[in-house]
Amino acid sequence: MRARLLPLTAGSASWNMAADQAIIESVEHSSVPTLRFYGWTEPTLSLGYFQHYESRNQHPASSQATCVRRSTGGGAILHDHELTYCLVVPMAASATRQRQDLYRHMHTTIADVLAELGVTARAYRLEAQGGGDRSAFLCFQRRTDEDLVVSGYKILGSAQRRSRHAVLQHGSLLLRASAYAPELPGISDLTASHVEPAELVKPIAQGLGQRLDLVWTSGRLSEQERLRGHQIEAERFGNSVWNRRR
Amino acid sequence: MSRDKTKLLYAETHEWVDISEESGKKIATVGISGFAIEQLNDLVYMDLPEVGRTVAAGEEFGEVESVKAVSPLYSPVSGEVIDVHSDLPDNLEGINDDPYDFGWIVKIRVDDDSSLASLLDYGTYEKQCAEAG
Repeated sequence: MRARLLPLTAGSASWNMAADQAIIESVEHSSVPTLRFYGWTEPTLSLGYFQHYESRNQHPASSQATCVRRSTGGGAILHDHELTYCLVVPMAASATRQRQDLYRHMHTTIADVLAELGVTARAYRLEAQGGGDRSAFLCFQRRTDEDLVVSGYKILGSAQRRSRHAVLQHGSLLLRASAYAPELPGISDLTASHVEPAELVKPIAQGLGQRLDLVWTSGRLSEQERLRGHQIEAERFGNSVWNRRR
Repeated sequence: MSRDKTKLLYAETHEWVDISEESGKKIATVGISGFAIEQLNDLVYMDLPEVGRTVAAGEEFGEVESVKAVSPLYSPVSGEVIDVHSDLPDNLEGINDDPYDFGWIVKIRVDDDSSLASLLDYGTYEKQCAEAG
C-alpha cells in the first residue's frame, strides 16, 4: 500500500500536536498511511488527554517547561532529547485488535533498529515485571506490555487516539535525560551508544514499511493540512483554556 | 431486571442500544458492548455528555481512555440526551463485570426513528466481532 513519509522537523508544542491532528483528519478521507518524525523547539511537558492540568505541580523539575495537552492518552511526557513519531493509519473503529497490534508493530521495529546500533531494548512483557506505577504522573514511570525497556528503564512509550476511520499513534524514544526530568535516563545514559534522531528515521520507516506492507513516498503536509493545522492550533493546542480544560 | 444482550441492537462502532417506549416516544439506553469492553482491556477515564444535549446518529457524545488509547463514543441514534450515568466515570471497573446493566452510559430520547435502521441485530454484530478477530 502506498504511504507517505514526512521529513524530520522540529516544531513548537502546539504546532506539533495540531499538525498531527490535521493529519488524522486528512487520513480519515485519503486513507493514505502517514508517518512523521519530529523534535521540539523547546523542552515541553505534554499531558495525556485525560490528565488534570494541575497534576503537573507533582513534577517541579518540569515546572518551567512549556505545557500542552495531547490528543492521545497515557501519562505526561517531557519532550527534550528524544525522537517523537506520529503514525496515522486508516482503520475502522470496529478494528479493536488491529489497533492494539500497532503498538507491537512499531515497537518491535524500533527495537530491531536499536539492536543494529548495538542497543538491546526489550518489550516490557518479556522482562521480569515490576518497576512501573500505573498511576504515575510521568508516562515513562508507567509500564505497559509493549513499552521498550533498557536495563529496567523505559525508553520508548506510545499512545493512541482513535477516530472513525483512522488511528493516530504517538511515540517518544528517549535518547538522553533532560534537565527537566533528570530521573528519566535515555539511551545514551544507559548504554555506550550515542544515537542521533536523523540516523533512526530511515531504518525505522523501512522496517515498519516491511512489517505493515507499506511503500513510502516522501511527502510534505498538504496546503489543506497546514491550514487546518493552524486552525486546530488556535482552537486547541495553542489555546490555554483548552489545555487547562481539566 | 438484567438486559439480554442478544435482544439489543448494536452500532458498528460497538455501542449497544436498548429501545424502550415512554409516553409514545422511543428511549434509547446506550452502553459499550461486552466485546468492546474486553478488547479495550482496561477503561480508566470516561467523559460523558450533558443532559439536554442534542446528538445526531454517528456523532461523538463522549470519550474513553484505555491502555493509553483515547476513543470517541458515537451516538447510535439521533435525539436528546435525557439522562447520563454520572456515577460511571468514577466506577469504571463495574463496566467490565456488567456492561449491559451497570454499564449503561446515556439515555437518549429518539427524535428520528430512521436513525435506528442502520443498527445491527445481535447475530450480525457478533459476526462483525468475529471478523474483527
